[in-house]
Amino acid sequence: MSDQSAPHKRPKEKFDFFQDQRVRSVFYQLLTAGVVGWLAWYLINNTSENLQTRGMATGFDFMDVSAGFAVDFKMIDYLPGVGTYTDIFIIGALNTLLISFFAIILSTFIGFFVGVLRLSDNWLVAKVALAYVEIFRNVPLLIQVVFWYIGVFSLLPAVKKTVDLSFGAERLLLNNRGLYMAWPVPGDLFWVTILAFIIAVVGAFFYSRRAHKMQDVSGEQTNVWLPSLAAVIILPLIAFFATGMPLDWDIPVLEGFNFVGGASVAPPFLALLVALSIYHAAHIAESVRAGILSVDRGQSDAAMGIGLKPGRVMSLVIIPQAMPAIVPPLISNWMNTVKNSSLAIAIGYPDLVSLFMQTSLNQVGHAVEIVGMTMVFYMLISLIISVVLNIYNKHVQLVER
Amino acid sequence: MAIITKQKTADRPAPLSETSVLGWLQKNLFSSVFNTVLTLITIFIIYLTLSGVVVWGYLDATFVADKRRECYDNSLTGACWAGVIAWLDNIFYGRYPREEIWRIDFGGLLLVLWMLPLWLARVKGKILIGASVIIFYPFLAGYMFTGGDKGWFMQFMVAGAITAFIINMTNMLVGLLKNTSLDVFLMQLFGQADAGDKTQRNILLAMVAALFVVVFLWQASWNVTEVVWTKWGGLFLTLVISGIGIASSLPLGIFLALGRRSKLPVVRVLSTGFIEVFRSVPLITVLFMATTMFPLFMPEGFVLNKLVQVIIAVILFNACYMAEIVRAGLQAIPKGQFEGAHTIGLGYWGTMGLIIMPQALKHMIPNIVGNIIGLLKDTTLVSIIGLFDILGMLRSISKDVPWVGLHKEPLIFGAVLFFIICFSMSKYSRHLEVKLSAGDKH
Repeated sequence: MSDQSAPHKRPKEKFDFFQDQRVRSVFYQLLTAGVVGWLAWYLINNTSENLQTRGMATGFDFMDVSAGFAVDFKMIDYLPGVGTYTDIFIIGALNTLLISFFAIILSTFIGFFVGVLRLSDNWLVAKVALAYVEIFRNVPLLIQVVFWYIGVFSLLPAVKKTVDLSFGAERLLLNNRGLYMAWPVPGDLFWVTILAFIIAVVGAFFYSRRAHKMQDVSGEQTNVWLPSLAAVIILPLIAFFATGMPLDWDIPVLEGFNFVGGASVAPPFLALLVALSIYHAAHIAESVRAGILSVDRGQSDAAMGIGLKPGRVMSLVIIPQAMPAIVPPLISNWMNTVKNSSLAIAIGYPDLVSLFMQTSLNQVGHAVEIVGMTMVFYMLISLIISVVLNIYNKHVQLVER
Repeated sequence: MAIITKQKTADRPAPLSETSVLGWLQKNLFSSVFNTVLTLITIFIIYLTLSGVVVWGYLDATFVADKRRECYDNSLTGACWAGVIAWLDNIFYGRYPREEIWRIDFGGLLLVLWMLPLWLARVKGKILIGASVIIFYPFLAGYMFTGGDKGWFMQFMVAGAITAFIINMTNMLVGLLKNTSLDVFLMQLFGQADAGDKTQRNILLAMVAALFVVVFLWQASWNVTEVVWTKWGGLFLTLVISGIGIASSLPLGIFLALGRRSKLPVVRVLSTGFIEVFRSVPLITVLFMATTMFPLFMPEGFVLNKLVQVIIAVILFNACYMAEIVRAGLQAIPKGQFEGAHTIGLGYWGTMGLIIMPQALKHMIPNIVGNIIGLLKDTTLVSIIGLFDILGMLRSISKDVPWVGLHKEPLIFGAVLFFIICFSMSKYSRHLEVKLSAGDKH
């Protein structure tokens, strides 16, 4: 304040220890690090003391110990008493990924569908879509999961009264033990069919690129979809029949009190899948709607002006521009789907949390290790998804320039 | 040839679609063949759903019965609401002693009365009222709900809460009747309106202190029987957990968000790490961590009960989501506001507390309400680790002997209850958003 009389002279910088920015910054950081470090040390110290006094073992040795309990839904070979806790971890992780994968696909489809319906010109349809979104967003997911399990999928007909969803072919059967499907078993020469399929897909890809180039040069549009679809279906079929149909079906057969053979999923899987898909579809629908609304109205007016039909306006003009606004919330919804699949624990679907964090933890203890491993698994998934999101964002920005 | 008339030609009537019901129907439901088909199919689906729901849930349903068998005797195809009705007290209050339930109702009523002035335009000093709710109400409610012996700290806080409540209520009355704040009114009453600030403040402080002493002596004689936390349950427990979760995670979230935006690398890295770790794992794993690892964290002989473990887990988890909401709100504040605050000589906390936060919080209200709704819904997860919150209670009905196997009706009742609470909250937040942003329009 004193040097106001001589504003042109720069005031001499006095080094005041307590007011200096750098000193303060270092001080605050040391303080924070100290407090956090002390807290961590305190907790770790307590934990190790508690573990010692209670005689609890530590370390990851338990991962090689054989687990004594049975798992009714698994994608790798496992026998109780033989398989180890490592197997249990892998089974749980795979089951979590499986349910999340299907729930993500289903919820994204339903979500886009409902989101577009929300903006329908038809007043009634728009209101029904709104009711869907509001009802399923405002009821706790856990209540929905339990309801689908207890109120719907447990009340299916008993094994003796199995419903045949494939109209008498006995390929798709539904009862209160689950959904049974015939499962393809490829024969020796089946690789030829797969090869034909791959060739057809690659061919269709290049064909569509050429068609796009042609359109850029001459303005002429060629129908890409029909020939591509024909090639993708017909080529593998020819290969399949030429090699003598090398594919068997493993068909579920009633043996005693249950169906054996084929592939099956239990009611908990179906309940969780339906609940997760419907719940997250409601959220996705809202982000799709917001994304579409974020595109300027002039865009659709102009697109109609040059004579595009409403469907083409949506798919060629609106959706591509809405995508940058839709994708980030979409991906965070996918992440939430993976996290929410842990509600499986309430209805007995053996996902990572229920198998590893509950059953295994109750069997062998090792709370710190098991909780840590489970959390790291979820963190890894989130990390992978967010890396993908960042790559996509960069891609979108490049396109926008 | 141009025709120019002196008179204005009559207005053409508005198009039919804008004026008549039939026109509206034609425009919105039957504009084309495709739309007509769509409308008819939708009406059919709505009819099927609604008629099913009405027949099952109302026409064929049983409302009065003593056990499930009687429901079946009455109707096989209808809902058995009698079980839910018989359990209503349990659903709302858990196993709280029936003769003490008034304490919960009274605590809820206090909260409503306390917050009421926030909605009254004529009442002054809303920020203080809001702060007093957050600081004092939890202790009063905690004592009301738990009861038993209270230590000197609890006595102090309870007395403070009652004092704050009395001041708040008088302030509301003064605001409604005289349209001024309580302090101004009191000064006028004592003819000290022209006295210096310091004198006024001293008089007010003396009055508050006197009131506090009277209340402290009064409450010391209170004797409320103890209700252990294991008897808490139902919607009450859900609201307690999510209420404490919200009230504590907001301040914690603000600190985490400031830490994440800090220029100090150590603070930034620690806050970011904390936030990202808890945001990337499901709540249920955090709850399991709380129940299995917190006992190991504590020093020998120090036992946290399960309710406290769960509440801590919920606070830690939710604070990270709150932090991201606050961070988004902070990012919406233009840089000029920071620079302006610096120019007038405010330091970091002055800038944040007086300039940035008040603006940012306004932007964040819709997201914060969204977070409150989310937390309320997520709180149902505590039933998985064995607390009898509302979902726990709803699911126990099917294990009660007279109502064995009654699963669907309780769950649907719970779903409807949650829907009403969450939907009205989100509608209100949207209304608030419009009201608050009205000032921003040019």
